[in-house]
Amino acid sequence: MLNDHFLSLAAFSLLVALFFATLNHRDRRGFWKSVGKTMAWMVVGSLLFAYFMLWTAR
Amino acid sequence: MPSALPRWKAYAYSLPTLLLPGLSHWFLGRRRRAVAFFCIVGATFWVGLLLHGALFPFHAPNWLYRLGALAEVGLGAPYALGRIIGLGRLDMRDAADLMFGYGNTFLVSAGLMNMLLMMDAFDIAVGRKE
Repeated sequence: MLNDHFLSLAAFSLLVALFFATLNHRDRRGFWKSVGKTMAWMVVGSLLFAYFMLWTAR
Repeated sequence: MPSALPRWKAYAYSLPTLLLPGLSHWFLGRRRRAVAFFCIVGATFWVGLLLHGALFPFHAPNWLYRLGALAEVGLGAPYALGRIIGLGRLDMRDAADLMFGYGNTFLVSAGLMNMLLMMDAFDIAVGRKE
């Protein structure tokens, strides 16, 4: 299952997001907000960068 | 647990994380967080190994791998144990594996997370953080 680039990226983003949310947030609301924000930045940012590389390689 | 410990004790409290991720937080009375850190760093480590990532030796053939070793050594005992029993052995044929880079990213991140946990435990012990 993890032999897929997108799933590996999603799994990595989730673990990193959970780590930093656990490290920095005590309240439940702040915790999940931080997880969502970090994951979104990592996944969307990586996809955009990947498409940028694809676009410049042509 | 007293709110602020002397520095030498705070350093001592930050070290158990090198044995097991989250152990320092457990001794500092942050039990739920300790279990969460153990699961998160442990999962990052195991997924890295499953993806054929390498536990880099310090005598690796290039500087990038040696830099990776410096990050992974932050895992402490799991890194040492893995190197002794041959887990994540660096094989240059694996470098062509599609998932090799991902595996290394997970393992290097696990090491860096563990270093952050040591610093966090130190901050809690000196009373800089709750």
